[in-house]
Amino acid sequence: MTYLAQVINSTIREITPILLVALCAGVCSKVQVFNIALEGTLLMSSFFAFLTHYFLHNIFLSVAVAMAVAMGMTLIMSTFIVRLKGQPMIVGMALNTFARGFTTFLLSVIFKTKGAVNPSDLKGLTKFDLPVIRRIPFLSTVFGSLTVIDYLAFVLAVVMFIIMYRTVIGFRLRALGINKSAASSLGINVPRYQILATTLSGSMIGLAGCLLTLGRNAMFIQDISGARGYVALAANNLCKGHPLGAMISSALFGFTTALARSLQGTAIRQQLLQCIPYIATIAAMAFYNAYARAKANRKL
Amino acid sequence: MVFEMKHITKTYDSVVANDDVSLHLNRGEILSIVGENGAGKSTIMKILYGLEKPDSGEIVVGGRTQRFNNPSDAMAVGIGMVQQHFMLFEQMTVAENIVFKNELKNGPFMDMNKTAETVRQISERYELKIDPLARIADCPVGLRQRVEILKILYQNAEIIIFDEPSAVLTPLEVEALLETIRGLARAGKSIVLITHKLQEVMAVSDRVYVMRQGRVVAERMAADTDISELAMLMVGHPLASYEIDPPKPGETLLETRGLRLMENGREVLKDISLHVNAGEIVGIAGVSGNGQSALIRCITGLEKSTGGQVLVGGVDVTNRSVREIRDAGLAHISEDRYVWGSAPEGTLEENALMARQDDKPFSSRGIIRPRAIRDFAVRLIRDFNVKASSPTQKMRELSGGNAQKLIVAREMSLDTPVLICCEPTRGIDIGAMEAIHNRMLRRREDGAAILLVSSELTEIMSLSDRIYVIFEGRIVGEFERGSMDDRHLGLLMVGGSIGHEQ
Amino acid sequence: MLGIVDTVTQPLIAVLISFLLGAVVILVIGKNPLLAYGEMIRGAFGKQVYLMNTLKRATPIIMGGLAVCMAWRSGYEAMGGEGQMILGAVAAALVGYYLPVPGWLRIPAAMLAAAAAGAVYSMFSGWLFDRFDVTFVISTLMLNYIANYFAAYLCNYPLRDPEANVYQMQNAQTGKLPEDVTLPPIMKGWVHWGFVIAVIAVLVTWFLFKKTSFGYKSRMGGLNPRFALYGGIDARRMLYLVLALSGVMAGLGGSFEVLGSKSRYVDQMIFSTGYAWTGMVAALLANMNPIGTLLASILLAGLAVGGSTMMLNMDIPLEVCNIIEGIITLFMSARMIRIAAGNVRRRRLAKGGGET
Repeated sequence: MTYLAQVINSTIREITPILLVALCAGVCSKVQVFNIALEGTLLMSSFFAFLTHYFLHNIFLSVAVAMAVAMGMTLIMSTFIVRLKGQPMIVGMALNTFARGFTTFLLSVIFKTKGAVNPSDLKGLTKFDLPVIRRIPFLSTVFGSLTVIDYLAFVLAVVMFIIMYRTVIGFRLRALGINKSAASSLGINVPRYQILATTLSGSMIGLAGCLLTLGRNAMFIQDISGARGYVALAANNLCKGHPLGAMISSALFGFTTALARSLQGTAIRQQLLQCIPYIATIAAMAFYNAYARAKANRKL
Repeated sequence: MVFEMKHITKTYDSVVANDDVSLHLNRGEILSIVGENGAGKSTIMKILYGLEKPDSGEIVVGGRTQRFNNPSDAMAVGIGMVQQHFMLFEQMTVAENIVFKNELKNGPFMDMNKTAETVRQISERYELKIDPLARIADCPVGLRQRVEILKILYQNAEIIIFDEPSAVLTPLEVEALLETIRGLARAGKSIVLITHKLQEVMAVSDRVYVMRQGRVVAERMAADTDISELAMLMVGHPLASYEIDPPKPGETLLETRGLRLMENGREVLKDISLHVNAGEIVGIAGVSGNGQSALIRCITGLEKSTGGQVLVGGVDVTNRSVREIRDAGLAHISEDRYVWGSAPEGTLEENALMARQDDKPFSSRGIIRPRAIRDFAVRLIRDFNVKASSPTQKMRELSGGNAQKLIVAREMSLDTPVLICCEPTRGIDIGAMEAIHNRMLRRREDGAAILLVSSELTEIMSLSDRIYVIFEGRIVGEFERGSMDDRHLGLLMVGGSIGHEQ
Repeated sequence: MLGIVDTVTQPLIAVLISFLLGAVVILVIGKNPLLAYGEMIRGAFGKQVYLMNTLKRATPIIMGGLAVCMAWRSGYEAMGGEGQMILGAVAAALVGYYLPVPGWLRIPAAMLAAAAAGAVYSMFSGWLFDRFDVTFVISTLMLNYIANYFAAYLCNYPLRDPEANVYQMQNAQTGKLPEDVTLPPIMKGWVHWGFVIAVIAVLVTWFLFKKTSFGYKSRMGGLNPRFALYGGIDARRMLYLVLALSGVMAGLGGSFEVLGSKSRYVDQMIFSTGYAWTGMVAALLANMNPIGTLLASILLAGLAVGGSTMMLNMDIPLEVCNIIEGIITLFMSARMIRIAAGNVRRRRLAKGGGET
């Protein structure tokens, strides 16, 4: 029982960063800006969250800096794609290369290392225990030691749903994503909307970055984002940019990652276990597409 | 006078699109601007609507000189335009499309109830019936156009420009549209109608401008003119009609037997059987979207049919690859020259080579012969009078008519027994159109079997020896040359049947 | 005219901007950028031994670049070069070490195995696309990670170097290939033969693109897939053929790194060096032109090799090179020059039109 609760708990922790990034990916895909720089953005923001916290010991400032860095990266991404007509794939890969180089560079300049920085005296994000659940044995483990941002991720999914599907601004964003020229023929400045929307949604990647470096203890490891940006891209692809659907598809990936981790120490070698989330991603997309195609053929 | 345009001139690169054009519109009037493709009528309206800026000239709306930077500026003074290509959000509802940019809000939220109610009110006031909650994707073309009109009315436009509004409509929908236009004029709106369909012009307009080569060449009151005068003013000379010898019937070269296609669970083609003989042009008449494209895709191998047979030259090629079907003796001028018929970013040489990439002398054992390809491209360009500067320039740099001529040249030079022509003259000028028609007739003389698909009924009627009418994926009628008139055809095209009219 | 401006000036400007920004970064950590770049250039091209190091490093980058040229020219934006290179390297290490044939025969066998591994892995992503509509972006990125972990598993367990001392090793590795199973240098003190094969591969690719109907078909497929289909080009055949060739290039690239340089597969050796990504940047700088890719690969390899000299002599982290590389790519992606030139042209036209 405790084991199960721990697995669920670790699943939730795996879900939330992916969910936050997927929510940003959702906005980007709705306004037709193909963002593959998610990975690099996540890496940069998690590094700067850690860096700020390391020097200033201020958790709020760290979160703010991480969000700002993520928004900055997303702003560059969307400007290059929307205004300068850059090829989205290349813009994204360029920013990812840059992020990998830049974080490792600063890591070696500041901390004189290329591996992990794990200062023992530095605390992570404040843990937030739910009042009643804290006393229930099973659930206390399930929801144990989650941070405010973990809960916020799910709240944000709902908020993003309301913004995108119930408000005027969300309506306009979805519409211009469907038909850019129709929107601009009615006097909408499409590039400006695209850049603003993607940049603002980039702040959610900043939150995800905080979870990576400050979620448990404060620490930074080279390449800490570990393809979560790409996985989030896949998750968003599965839910077709719907914020509530993102909760489900992120859960799938979170679960496989947690599963792989919980199987460590069994007969299956660790390196093979690490493949599981990536295999699951491909499999999920293949199954989903096969299912969608079959459904379309059956429909009368 | 609700607006006046004075001495407007507009050039694109070196082409003069509008040359010192002056026109005006009175309140409550229906004004038509007629002219061939490329006569500059769309350009002048785009200038009025803020989509283009004039090089020189003045626009006066409501007594004041205006300077439009974009359509919003034009809309702000009450000018709206129903564009030829609809500007709609497919996956959204009618009401959402209409209120976009001027949403009815409740705080930051969309007020969907009020939106639907407002749209319903407008649609009732102007008698343009529509379900505000229907999705655009589910609306037929006529309704989509209605949404475009309502969108403009919702923004309180006083001047409404229609750009070739009937191009995509069925004959019945055209009737409804003309009635709508009259109704709008009665309600005090001022209308500009851009078209090259003279029957419609005569049916609704009060006044007509004729444009040719960027200039206004005539202004007439509709009551004082007729179709033949307008046609002559438009073209600049009396229209030539084709002299066609009666067909010399030959063997059947193209045949389909009970062809069927299911697409996403919908039956797009239902039991299509047709044949085309040597030395014959056979037209397929129908409102676009009734299965013509699917039929051609199934014949040419671009799509796998789900039943029936296709025979080319007596050989069963059902669901073979495009390569095999082409090798069996079929060439294909596709319906959309930039989607299927060419690679706009490729050179003319590359575009000319297509379908011959494995044939001698252009390639042997996988190695291509650039010299042969160059010579061939140059020959096509010369023979078909394609206006191009070099065989290595990009396809997209050619004008639509010249690009189409190159495609026609490529497919005709294959010299196949069967030739499929889909919309061979869509959107190109009269000169190029005549050239292409003459080539088709010459191929017919040479004994080719030609299948012609066109949404221009006049093109079908003037060229075809036989006509099949297609409606909702089914052949609903067959006519010989001379035994048809466009009223019957028109009726069949929308699912009516002869003898049951009125 | 504009075309020439585009293909020559844009890379130059992109390189210039990125080096300027790199200089800012170097300044910030208190070093002299001019000295640093001097070190970098000297370390990359200054002596024969440095130049040979650069060419050695360029070898897998060239192959990665060709893999990208191959696939992207046909419109398949696959980024699986890394995974294919890893599997190619592992296959070469495996065959080179275990295949019971004489050494001289093992080299071609190992290269063949590497090419096959790359091709199969590349075609697998094609199959996912063909059969399940899984987009290349996602499938290839995921497959890269899977290949890397799988290779890590192999060299940690079944293929682990039997002579390795568990406690000394930083990274797991496979057994060291015997002397006669390595690609020898062209001549003493020169780069190994892998570089020559890579140059040959460049020429072959160029020939394929320019002189064969395959090149025509793949280009048409990339420019307008529907047009290619309409003209009777078998899209599915082209998909697998193009991806297989692309995989062959990447796989061979991996084998050169094993046979010519490391003599074994070391865990993370492809992943951490980013050869495939650098190859992609090179292909991009060259606008998918194979010969341009060769030159760009050598330049980018020089950046990395010179970067290590810079790191040793001036204590500037190597990653400055990644930063520069990223910025070059970013600025290459934008069509700034074309846009700027277009604006000037339009303005001039508008002005001219106004005067008449």
